[in-house]
Amino acid sequence: MLLKRHEQHFSFHSIGRMRPVVAGIVTALVLCAAIYLGSRGLHNFDSALAPYAIASVFLAFGIAYRYTVWISSPGARRLFKKGWGAALSWQNMRRAPTALPRMIATYLGFQKFLGARSRSRWAAHQLIFWGCVLAALITFPLSWGWFTFTSPTGSGPQYSMNLWGFSLAKFDALSVVGWIAFHGLDLAAVLVIAGATYFLVRRMRDREAGTGQRFGYDLVPLLALIIISVTGLLLTFSSVFLHGGGYQFLAVLHMAAVVLTLLYLPFGKFFHIAQRPAAVGMQLFKYTEHGSVQPCRVCGEPIDTTAYVENLRGTMQDLKLGFDQVVLTCPRCKRLARGQAYRTEVKRGF
Amino acid sequence: MMGRTIVIDPGRCIGCQACVSACRECDSHRGRSMIHLDYLDQGNSVASSPTVCMHCEDPLAPCAQVCPAEAILVTPDGVVHDADKSRCIGCGNCVNACPMGVPKIDLAAKLQFKCNLCYDRTSYGLAPMCATVCPTGSIFYGTLDELRSERPGVEVASTFDIDGTILSTGVAVVVPGDRPRDLPLPGGAGEHPRVTGSPQPAGHLEPNADNVLGEPL
Repeated sequence: MLLKRHEQHFSFHSIGRMRPVVAGIVTALVLCAAIYLGSRGLHNFDSALAPYAIASVFLAFGIAYRYTVWISSPGARRLFKKGWGAALSWQNMRRAPTALPRMIATYLGFQKFLGARSRSRWAAHQLIFWGCVLAALITFPLSWGWFTFTSPTGSGPQYSMNLWGFSLAKFDALSVVGWIAFHGLDLAAVLVIAGATYFLVRRMRDREAGTGQRFGYDLVPLLALIIISVTGLLLTFSSVFLHGGGYQFLAVLHMAAVVLTLLYLPFGKFFHIAQRPAAVGMQLFKYTEHGSVQPCRVCGEPIDTTAYVENLRGTMQDLKLGFDQVVLTCPRCKRLARGQAYRTEVKRGF
Repeated sequence: MMGRTIVIDPGRCIGCQACVSACRECDSHRGRSMIHLDYLDQGNSVASSPTVCMHCEDPLAPCAQVCPAEAILVTPDGVVHDADKSRCIGCGNCVNACPMGVPKIDLAAKLQFKCNLCYDRTSYGLAPMCATVCPTGSIFYGTLDELRSERPGVEVASTFDIDGTILSTGVAVVVPGDRPRDLPLPGGAGEHPRVTGSPQPAGHLEPNADNVLGEPL
C-alpha cells in the first residue's frame, strides 16, 4: 500500500514535470498538421524554405514549453485563469463589448504604455514591432506552403496571390502593388534596422539601460534582428545589383541567422512577445471587477479592486508566504507602522 | 545579511530629504526617487524614517515570487532588482505584497520602480547615492566591521516579525546594544489603530500616489 501511494505520488509529480514537454509536442504536431493541410498535402510546399518551416515547428514547441513552465508559477497561473476568464466572459462582452478590442489595439498594437516611458523608445519599438509583424505575416505562411504566388502566363507579369490554394487577389508584378508585394520583407528589414540600431546605440551609451544589462539577454536579440535584416537586404542587393553574385552564401547566412533566432526566441528577451498579452488580461480582470474596491485597513485609501486583492492574497497563500494580510494595508501605512513600532519598541523616543 | 550592504539607523534620521534628492540623481532611475522618507508622527514629533528596499533573503524576495511576469530578477549577490522593462505588466502585485511598502508603480507606463541598491554604483564598489549624501549616517553603506570601526559596539538586526512570519533581509537596521541579538524587529504589520474595514463601492475613495488601482480604461 505504501509503495502504491508512493508510485501514485511519483506519477502525479511526473505528469506535472512532463506537462510543458507534452504541451510543446502537441503544439508542434498541430503545426505540422496545419502545414500539411494548408499546403494541400505539401503540394504547395516550397522545399527551398524547408529549414524555415522546420525551425518554426521547433519554435512552436519552444513557445508552448516555455509558456507552460511560465504559467505553472502561482502568480502567473492565477492571472492566466482570471485574465482569460475575463477576456472570454460572455457577460463582460455584453457589458463592455469594446473593452477587449480597444485594449488589444492600445496595449499590444500601438503600445501606449511605452510612450509614457519615453517617446523615442516608443517610436523605435513601434518600428521593430511593425517590421517584425510584417515579416512574420509574410514569411511564416510562405515557408509553410500556405501562401503562394502563381502566374497563368508562366513568368508574369500577371500574378495571383493564393492562401491555402484559394486565390486571394490578382495583381500586376510591375505595378506599385506588385512591387510592395515582392519587397515586403525589404520594407520590414528597413523598419527593424532603424529601430534595433536605436536600441543598440542606447544600450551602449545610456547608463540607465546599461545598469545590469546582460549580453545574452539584452544585446543578442538586437544583434540577431540586425543580422537577419541586413542579410535579408543583401539578398535583394545581390539579385538587383550583383546579378546574383554571392547569393548562395548570403542565403545560407540569412537562413542560419533566422533559424537560430527562432530557436532562441522562447528562452530570452523575445519571450516578452508571448508574455505581454497578460497585461491585457490583468487590466481586463481589474476593469471588469471595478465595482468593489478594497480600502487600506488603516487610512482608508483604496488599494486595488477587491477581486484583485483576493487574487494576490491567494497567490501569497499558494507560495506559503504567511503574511498575506499585509495586502490589506497600503504601502505608506506599512512603512509608518513599522517606523512607529521601531520608535516605541526598539529605540524608544528617538 | 549581505557583505557590503546598507545599514539604517532611523534614530539618526533628521528628515532632511538629502537621500530623496540624491536618489533622483542615480543613473539607473534618473529623475525618480526610489527612497521613501516618512515623517512618523507629523505635528507631534520630528521623528522620520528612511525606507530603502530591504532585499529580502528568507523568504526570498516576496515581490519577485508574486510577480506573474517573472520581471523581478535577484542576482547571486542578493540584490533584488527593479522590474525588467520588457516584462513588467504593471499589475501591482509586488507593490501590495511587499511587507515593507517599498515598490512604486507608474500606471501609465505599466512599470514598477524600486530601489536596486544603486546597482550601477554598488556593482563597481561605490556606495549608493543615499548613503553617500546622508549627513548624519542614518544610511550607512559598508560591511559590519566597517560600521563598527566608525561606531564601536554598535549592534544591528536583519530579521523582522511580519504578522508572525520571520523575514530576514539583506539590509540591516541599527538596534540598541542591550537588545537580544536574535530578537526580530517589529514588522508593524499587526498595528491597526484605526481599522476602516470592508470593501467599498468604486468612486467612494479618492486614490493616492501609492495605490495601484488606476483608471478604468
